[in-house]
Formats: sequence, structure tokens, C-alpha cells
Amino acid sequence: MMSKASHQAEPFNLPINNAWLLWCCQLLNVACLTAELSSWMLAILALCFCWQALLLSKKMRVIQLFKVQKKSVKGNVFTVPPLVLIVFAISGCIAIALTAKHLGVLISMVHLLTFAYVLKTFEIKTRKDFYQHTLLGLFLLASALIFEQALSFSLLILLLLALNLTLIHKLFAKKTSLTNAGKTVVLLLLQSSLLAITLFLVFPRLSPFWQVPMAKSAKTGLSDNVSPGDIANLALSSELAFRVSFDEGVIPAYSTLYWRAMTLENYDGRKWTRSNNKIAQQHKNIDKKDFTPYTSGAALSYQVIAQPSFQPWLFSLPVATTTAKNIILKDDYTIQSSSIVNQLKYYQVQSYLDTPLALSLTQQSKHRNLAIKKGSNPKLEDLALTLKGMYSNPMALSQAVLTSFREQNYYYTLQPPALNNNSLDEFYFETRAGFCVHYASSFTYLMRAAGIPARIVTGYLGGEYNDASNEGNREQGGHLSIYQYDAHAWSEIWVEGIGWYRVDPTAAVDPERVNSGWSTALLEQQSSLNNNLLSLYHFKQLAWLNAIRLKLDAIDYQWTRWVLGYSAKQQYDLLRYWFGQQVPWKTAAIIAIALIIAMVVITLFYRVNSNYKKQGKITPAQACYNKCLLLLKKKGLNKKPHQTPLQFCVIVQDNFPAISSDFEEITKTFELLQYKQCNEQERHTLMGVFVKKTSNFIHALKAESTIIQPKQ
Amino acid sequence: MAASFLKSFFQKRFDAWLKRRVPSSFHHTLSRRNIFIMPTKFGFAYLLFVFLLFLLATNYQNNIIMLMSYLLASLFISIMIHSFYNFSGLGFKSTATHSGFAEQAISIPISIITDKPCFDLTLSFVKTPQYKVSLEHCSQGDTKVILPYVSKERGVITTGRVKISSEYSFGLFISWAVLDFSHQLTIYPHPKKINENQYRLTGQENQNSCATSYESHTPGLDDFSELKDYVLGESKSRTAWKQFARGQGRYTKHYQNQQSTLNWLKLSDMPSVNIETQLSFLCYLVLEYCRGELQFGLDLTSKESGVEISPDQKIEPDLGFVHQKNCLTALATYSKQTKS
Repeated sequence: MMSKASHQAEPFNLPINNAWLLWCCQLLNVACLTAELSSWMLAILALCFCWQALLLSKKMRVIQLFKVQKKSVKGNVFTVPPLVLIVFAISGCIAIALTAKHLGVLISMVHLLTFAYVLKTFEIKTRKDFYQHTLLGLFLLASALIFEQALSFSLLILLLLALNLTLIHKLFAKKTSLTNAGKTVVLLLLQSSLLAITLFLVFPRLSPFWQVPMAKSAKTGLSDNVSPGDIANLALSSELAFRVSFDEGVIPAYSTLYWRAMTLENYDGRKWTRSNNKIAQQHKNIDKKDFTPYTSGAALSYQVIAQPSFQPWLFSLPVATTTAKNIILKDDYTIQSSSIVNQLKYYQVQSYLDTPLALSLTQQSKHRNLAIKKGSNPKLEDLALTLKGMYSNPMALSQAVLTSFREQNYYYTLQPPALNNNSLDEFYFETRAGFCVHYASSFTYLMRAAGIPARIVTGYLGGEYNDASNEGNREQGGHLSIYQYDAHAWSEIWVEGIGWYRVDPTAAVDPERVNSGWSTALLEQQSSLNNNLLSLYHFKQLAWLNAIRLKLDAIDYQWTRWVLGYSAKQQYDLLRYWFGQQVPWKTAAIIAIALIIAMVVITLFYRVNSNYKKQGKITPAQACYNKCLLLLKKKGLNKKPHQTPLQFCVIVQDNFPAISSDFEEITKTFELLQYKQCNEQERHTLMGVFVKKTSNFIHALKAESTIIQPKQ
Repeated sequence: MAASFLKSFFQKRFDAWLKRRVPSSFHHTLSRRNIFIMPTKFGFAYLLFVFLLFLLATNYQNNIIMLMSYLLASLFISIMIHSFYNFSGLGFKSTATHSGFAEQAISIPISIITDKPCFDLTLSFVKTPQYKVSLEHCSQGDTKVILPYVSKERGVITTGRVKISSEYSFGLFISWAVLDFSHQLTIYPHPKKINENQYRLTGQENQNSCATSYESHTPGLDDFSELKDYVLGESKSRTAWKQFARGQGRYTKHYQNQQSTLNWLKLSDMPSVNIETQLSFLCYLVLEYCRGELQFGLDLTSKESGVEISPDQKIEPDLGFVHQKNCLTALATYSKQTKS
């Protein structure tokens, strides 16, 4: 129980079970960052972990051996020679430095941090080293949050934070079991949460102090060029693309939810690309907001939370306007972020769904949207000419093409047969099976060949409506989650007097896709292509599982919206709503009050807890005896703490001779119960007698009329 | 110079304040009044770390890291209160007077009374912080701790305050209390071995046979005087085994020193100029004589000074534990004024 040595003088030596805990804790901390670490680094780290595990198991064996021989173990047997470590560390650093250019600054820093963290474990010799190691571990956890902030991940980090703290706590409470130490830590975290939340809500949000390296990551989602079959690949991903919540809670019909991301106007015979790269750059140089779309009619207001895609596109319904900073309105009625979206992006958009797009078309634009590579798809060109002869009205012409899609044997599939050189002729006349881009590009090509300006628009269609977060409150509405598999491509034709008119050839082939989302057949196809057990198809097969999925999505949405999206503006609004005109001293006062309340609550907690424990220690006999004492006190006789029950008994005898013999018996029985070593049976009978006697005594005492006046 | 003056000035003020705030007592209960609490080095490092997290969060505009930094900052405060409540409510009890030899550890028992389990206690005297006792865990009830105290000098000393500290829960805070149990120690001189031929013992001049040369004494060489009935606890070496074997009952042999050579241990007889060394020699001899169960007297008057003999400084020949204690105490308290 006692160890006669000081902390500092003794070389720091973790007990073996704590050393294993440290090992596990470390493994889990590093595991949070595995997605960010390159594979060679993971290999090195795995090597280190194996090495540490070997050292630990060796130590464990030796300790057991020494226990048998009753000798003490020297701590330094189990360390690694410093030279080996230095060589290892230097080579690791060189490797990180060499790959830094390729990995980017942030990821390289994370590599270095993780490497240092794991190597430090070999070097824990003093208590100070241990502290450094722990803080490094906590920092590692924090840096994992740079890359991922989903609710589940945040909770995981919180859990690991608690585990790390438990590790420190175990250092000071060695005899405590892991669960008890964990309980203490959780309790402390709970006690801290009040102040933490207040700080989160009211502590002023500052703008970044300096530029920090941002995470570089692979681009996800739509790309700025598209060839037939591209979006089919994207359709296999069930990753979230963005979420939308409508301010009025009224969600437009599924078939009108065409989220435009970009328009593709250039066609080189193989793939469609954006035309206005150059123009966009010119715009940037002059003025970001030089394009103001003409709007009319009712506005639909909604908030979009876009997931990081590492691309600049943002999503909106036409015609979109926004007052948000860092968003460029473009002359093709799409919106774009002024920088690459590498974090969650929150923006508010007003869309005027009834407003026509571009009633007039510049010559340059018209020329661009009519351009085809003559002779690349001769059969389609012939067909276009024939159709042009048959229909003078562009709308009628496009309708005729759609009818051909609908009535002839076209097939909407995720696995279209490969096209030779992306030939649209081959698709339209032979294979007749394809995904949205096949239809959109052949349709657009046909239109252009027939002299109607046409372009391809990519974006997302529809979205999954989720109202799991507010059941029974229909007006508030839920939100739409748009996933990568909702990616879509469609066409727009320009018609005099109407402007850019949306035509979705997919609607002709697979109306279900446009009206309510993926058909079961498509889902099944996706599932089989994915080989994913947790695919959407399986989810939709089981209603309860799907309900859970929706619920989780709703929780995650609320988390993303209110916690991750809690910005300086929202803070300002909230504080104004609560406390009126916002004055700096009010914030200071709130923090001070929260601090005081938190401290008072915690103090009360300990006070009450210790009182409760004290009360818990009173034996039933003591409680009975105390009742008698209380009554005697009312009669003017107070037992002083230094008096033994027998001494007090004498005083009672002097004052109440009538009931003195009763009290004497009570006192004697009480002493027996308190101090005599007896078995359960004996104790039980004694207790029965005692209870009876005390109740008799209390009755008798109540009948007693004299009240003793305390001596002055 | 000025700095050291200031330092001593503040130290004095602080001690006086401490005396008012935490007066001496045999029994202390830790409470708001006597607990001090401060962040440790690790505590400050932790705060720096939290600030770093805040910077990270602000630069990345990352709400979750922000929340984490706030949580850790609040945790700092919770831990402070937690550490305090681990520490407060503890009772400490210790008796006041003890005795022992200089340069040797003197064990001072302190009992810790607690109605809740508490963790990681370190006890030490403020004066000798190098001797610590650490308790990892202190369960409910009474726990006795033996705290060593080592003094370089003899004399009657007060040990000063006992520092009780704890870094419990996370090492972020050190809570401590400096309690005064008014421990008083009688520190005997450090016994220093002296060979018999290095000194001469002189008898007391007033006695009949004076200045008899001392012969090497061992108990066996003394004159046998009588057999007495065995009293429980007497040394086995003194048992009259012959009589015992014959079945005549258990007796103890009693010896008597030569009446004529009453031994006086005299300060002036010790071969050194340093009074402390002389006292150390005397201390050794007192212990040796007592172990040999020899009768002796102690005379601490020094001839040169010619100071009047006070009863304190001259102890009549006697035997036994009390006599030993008296002699040792006389050695311990032999005042330094007499020397000068």
C-alpha cells in the first residue's frame, strides 16, 4: 500500500497493465488518422507497434519470472538502444521530407506528428516524457478532426479523448480499476460540458490569424468534362454530395429538382467540356459580380450545405441569386465558389424557378452552342436534317426525338456496352443502352445538327427527402440529401422567346428516375456492381433499417447544420435574440456567470456526494439511536460529541429517573450492536429487540412533560 | 543582498500569516482554510496546449476542434475542484514528542483519518523535503504513516511544519497543506565509537575510592553477588542455568560492579577539543554501558569553565532505561552557552 520513494527521483516506470493501456490508446489515436497517412508510413508505424508489443510482452514475462524469484525488476532492461532510435527517426524524417512535395504541407505535418508520437513511446523515461507523449496524443486527435467532422467521428474522438485522460488518471490512481477510472473521467467531462457549451455559444469567433495549409485531397463528384459512361461511375458512390433545407419547408416536386452545377458547351467528338474557363478568368479580373441574372416571380429560398469536393462548383436550382460572399454568379446561370471547396460550404440561395434563362443569346454564344464536329457522327447528322425538314418548331423537334427514345427499344442501364471511340451513332442506332450522358449527349448533338443551340448541363437530380428529424411537424419540413449517385446530365436547348429550355432525355427512357429517383432495377444493378453489403439497395429492402438510416442522416444533418455550421453570424444572431443589443461586456458577463455556475454546480456535487456517503455509512442501529437522541434534544438534553453513550446514559438517568432503566437497556443494546462481534443471526435478534425498545422508549419520553432547561 | 533581504522579509511575513491561518495543533482537518492549490508545470503546459488547440481551431475555422479546446479548458477547472475535494476533509493526527539520534532517521507516526478513499498523498517535513513518504492510495478509516526526520544537530528541536501534497487526478494541480503538529524532538548526539584505551575514566573525587584506574569491563568479569528469583523479561544470558538444570527453580545471576570503581562518564575525559565530538563519544559510551547493564553516572561539568554544578549536568550513577534516557537527554540539551 505504501511506497517510500518520491515521484521525481525514481525513474518513471509504468505498471505493466498501464503500459498496455498506453499501447492500445496509442494504437487507437493513430488509427484515427489512417485515412490521411500514406501506406509506407502505416507500415513503419505498424512495425513500431509490433516492436513495442514485443518489448512489453518480454517485460511481462520477466516480471512474472522475477515475482517467482522475489527480486525487483530493473526498468532499463527494456529500452531500445538510443542509436537505433536516432537512425530510425532520421530516416523516417528524410522519407517524410522527400514525399512532402507530393503530399502537401498539412499531410506531411500530420505524418511527422504521428511518427514523433509513436517514436516518443520508446523514450518515456521520466514523468515529463509521459506528459509530453499524452499531450502529443491529444494533439493528434485534434488534427484528425481537421479532415473529418461527422458526428460519429467526433463522438469517436471524444471517446478516445476520455481514454487518453483515463490513462493520465490511472497514473495517480494506480489501484483503481480501469472502469472506475473511466467513470471518474467521464464524470469530470460531464461536469465540464456546461462551461464548454457556454463558451462555444458565446465566446467570440475570431477570423483566422494566419493562412494555414489546407487539406489537399482527391477531387470528388462531378468533373468539368464528361464523356458517355462517366456519370455511371459516379452513380456507384453513395457518398453525400450536399444537403438542402428549404426555408418555407415546401419542397418542390422531385422532377423539378434539377441542381445545376455547370454547363458543358464544347464538344470535341469524344467528350463535353466547359467553354467559359477563359471567360471566367477574365470575369474574375474585372469584377466578381458583374453578372446579375434577371429575375421575376416568386423566390424559393433555401440553404445548401455542400460537402468538400475539392472543386469549385456549387449547386442551385435555376435561376439562382445569392448575397453570400465568395460565390460567383456566372452567366450560364450556375454558381461557383471563388475558392476550391475544401471544407463544408454553407450558402443561402434564392431561386426564381419561373424566370426564363437568357432570353437573348449573343452571337458568340450561339455559335458555340451550335458547333458540331462535322462528319463525326454522320448518321445522327442525317437524322437531324430529316427531322429539321419535318418540324419547323424546335420544341416539336425535340419532342419527336424524345418520343423516339420513349417508343423505340432504348434501355437505361448502369452497365452500357462499350462504345467504339465514343461514337454517338453507335449508341443511338445500335447499342441503344446507356446512362444519362449517352442520352443527353446524343440528344444535344442531334439538336445542334438540326440548328438548335443546345448544351449539356451536369448536376444532380432530385434528392432524398428526410423528415425524420421533425416528425409531426410537417410545415417545418425536413431536408433533402443529395448523394453522388444522384449525379445527372441533361440538355438545354435555346428557343427564341423561351430562353434556355431544359430537356431531359432520361425522362423519356426511364421516367421513374426523373419522377421519384432510382428504380429498383437500377438499385439492384448498383448493388451488384458495388459489392457493398451496406448498399442503398439492401437498405431499401428492409424498412426498419432504412428508417434507422434516415434517422441517422437526420441527426447528422442537424449536427452539420447547427454545430459544424455555427458561425460568427449565427452567434451574433443568437446573442442578439437572447440578450438584445450585443455589447462586449455582456459576453464577458455571460462567460463569468457560466464559470461561477459551473464551479458552484461541481462543488455542490462533491458536497452532496460526500454527505450522501456519510449518511450511507450510518448503521440501522445508529439511525434508531439517533432518533432517541433527537427527541432527548427536544427535551433539552443534548449529547455532546465527546460523550460516550454510557456517559450520556448517566446524565439521562439523572434527569429522567422514570424512564432511566429503559434508556440504560437501550444504550447497552446499542453498544452491543455497534461494537460486538457477532454473527448475522445474533445481530438480527438483537436488532429486533433494540427496535422494539427504542419505540417503547420514544413513546414513554413523549409522555414525559418536563423539559430540561440548559444550564447557563 | 537586497534580494535576499526582501526574500527573508517576505518569508517572515508569510510564516507569520501562516501561523495565524494554520495554527499548530495535534489534529488537523484539511479544508478551505489550510489547503493551497496551484497548477503544476504540466498544468501550465496543458493550458498552453489548449491555447494551441484554440489557434488551430480558429485558423481552420473548425468548430469541433474549437469545442474540444473549450472542453479541455473547462476540464481544467473541473479538475481543480476535483483535486481539491480529493484532498479536503482529510484528518491528520500526530503526537508531539519523540526522540532519536542525530544523523539518523527518527520515525514520526502520523495517522490519516478519512471517510472517503483518497489518492496520491506525499508527506514530508518542510525542512527536509528530500525525505518523503508517498501513499498511492489511502482507504477509508485510519492509515498510519511513518514519516522520517533527520537532524544533523543535537538538541531539542521543533521539526516545523509537515507538508502534505497531492497531484491527484491528473497531475495538473498540486494541492498542498503545511500543517504544524508542534512536533518536538529531542535529538541525542550522534554516537561515535571510541576505543577503551583512548580515554580514562575517573571516579568522583568526593567518593571514597577515587580515581581508580578503570579496567576493561565485561559483564562476566564483574563480581558475582547473588541469585534472585527470575522476573519475567530478564535476559536469558543471566539465567542461572546450573540451578535451573538441577531443578531448583529459575534464578537470575546478579552481578555487582566493584563498589570502589563507580564509573563516571565525564565530558572532560573525552579526547577531543570539539565539544560536539566529545558529546558524541559520551553518547556512544552511555549506550554501551546501558547495553552492558553497568552502573554509571554522567558528569557534564567542564573543569575549565568552573561553572557551578547544576543538577542537570550531573546525573548520579544508576541503571536502567529511565537513567539512559535521562543521560541522553542531558547530552542532547547540553547547552551551547556552557561551552562558550
